Amino acid sequence: MANRVHEFRDPIHGFIKLDSEERELVNSRPFQRLRHIHQLALSYLVYPGATHRRFEHSLGVMDVSSRIYDVVTDPENIYHDSVRQLVPRRGSDYQWSYWRRVLRMAALCHDMGHLPFSHAAEAALLPAGVRHEHLSREIILSAEMQPVFEELKIRPADVAKLAVGPKYYDGKFSDWESILYEMIGGNVFGSDRIDYLLRDSYHSGVAYGRFDHNRLIETMRILPREDQETKEPELGITRGGLQAAESLLWARYFIYTQLYFHPVRRIYDIHLKEFLQEWLEGGRFSTRLEDHLRMTDNEVLAGIHATAADPQLKGHPAASRITQRQHFRVLYESNPNDQTLNLSSVDLVYEAAKKEFGEEALRRDRYSSEAASEDFPVRLRDGNIASSLTMSSTFSDGQGPRFQVDSVFVAPDGKEKAKIWLGENKAKILGEAVNN
Amino acid sequence: MERFENASLIVALTEKLREHQSWAGETHLQKATYVLKRVLGVPIEFEFILYKHGPFSFDLRDEIGWMRSTRLLEWEVRSNFYGPSLRSGQLSPTLKRQFPVMPGRYSRQVDFVAQRFGGKNVAALERLTTAIYVTLDENTPSQDRARYINELKPHVSIPEADAALVEADALIQAANEQFPRAMTA
Repeated sequence: MANRVHEFRDPIHGFIKLDSEERELVNSRPFQRLRHIHQLALSYLVYPGATHRRFEHSLGVMDVSSRIYDVVTDPENIYHDSVRQLVPRRGSDYQWSYWRRVLRMAALCHDMGHLPFSHAAEAALLPAGVRHEHLSREIILSAEMQPVFEELKIRPADVAKLAVGPKYYDGKFSDWESILYEMIGGNVFGSDRIDYLLRDSYHSGVAYGRFDHNRLIETMRILPREDQETKEPELGITRGGLQAAESLLWARYFIYTQLYFHPVRRIYDIHLKEFLQEWLEGGRFSTRLEDHLRMTDNEVLAGIHATAADPQLKGHPAASRITQRQHFRVLYESNPNDQTLNLSSVDLVYEAAKKEFGEEALRRDRYSSEAASEDFPVRLRDGNIASSLTMSSTFSDGQGPRFQVDSVFVAPDGKEKAKIWLGENKAKILGEAVNN
Repeated sequence: MERFENASLIVALTEKLREHQSWAGETHLQKATYVLKRVLGVPIEFEFILYKHGPFSFDLRDEIGWMRSTRLLEWEVRSNFYGPSLRSGQLSPTLKRQFPVMPGRYSRQVDFVAQRFGGKNVAALERLTTAIYVTLDENTPSQDRARYINELKPHVSIPEADAALVEADALIQAANEQFPRAMTA
């Protein structure tokens, strides 16, 4: 096959390029399935533009990953012998091209295991202990993908390792593999996070999600954490990239609070979970690869519409709430004042409201974002390495952006009555708990 | 509620580490929690694997993130260069009042680990807890352990690994004496 360069036009990154062998992976059935998995579940019911899919996100992650790789492995950007020993030499070393290709393909594959509508209530819809990362790993290692990786001349196990990371890959990571995984899934500025923030912001219209990712990428470096008196390397930045990194962390805060944790988006996730638990055989998605690959948002949406139209079908109430916008409304959210009285304030309000209005009229939502650290190594102009928290005037008070969801929803027809009830009884509910 | 009980134990451990002059950064807390669970048998549900600076738990990392977002823990920047420390957050008094059981039940174990980890920096903790990990979690034959640590962490030399193993064996023995039957299989 002639190995030529192919291009995808992308609204975030311009042209995303890949060669003919890499395009075979894009053409594979597991990757094409991502054309039918919404990146942000039912968020388009709140933000109409948020209809983008995992397909283009995965292409974006591949593009950003290789840009990071090229910057951090450039000999001009390596300052320490311990890092020099770790990184394959660009140009002369076959390992350099090998790992570049593995990284790009791992970035493409990292979301292949996603269930329909992405993250929505994954824990409740898969067998205990199984996450979409396990399915991604299984797909990468499957017989179906074997010929693609043979053509690419890379080991599927290496791709799986970098795609799902140490938490979900059963095996040890060398320092080099850890750094490569950080380029994709790192909890400060991995390519996955860079792409989803920019892309979700663009499509939803929540403009706070933007930041200067080009500057950030150009300043990334592999740095030993001398600030912690260890030589173990991490992905960090030079001093000049600090503001770009700060803006990413703030963008993350804004996009979580404005978009991912939007209460209507959250309650639609809950209604979707309720529908799926009724509609799916056994109340869960099958983890058989063939079943997984056949199931996309299209099948689920068809199920929602058919079920909403027929009151006799299981899952009808939840399906109708989605199609007729009869979602539950926020009754109560956690807040620092009430939590100072009682950390379990949301549980207490939920339990008291259940007694008053019945369990069917209420929903409980609790969700924390995946951890993000504002602490990463920064190389100063004099060559020393410091923690970002000591260098950043935005985060130097140690607090940084923080956010979580902890709330109680009530059925729309009971909202007014429940609000009045809560206003009259909240002090008693929380006060009684304190006295207990 | 169980989550708050665990959180209460983590706050107690953080405070005790600081009492013993630990820098109490996230890595210090990770390694101390690992020893609390693996060597001293405290029932904390976090899974540890060998990753950043030795045994590392993604679940604990997420839990520390959640505890910061609920104001149970917070960062403190104490130096112009060195990474941040953790300290009790604004809502920790409420936590201690409402969830005193775990810290009370395991206070001796918390003291044990805080006393031994108090004066250690990240590099020393990385060596010591990696030595414990290869000994207890991987059952590496005694004579191969130093070489294996050096393979896993090339920046730890074999003499450094040897010294860490001596310390790890002593710590495990002291734990066995003070807390018999504590260690999980």
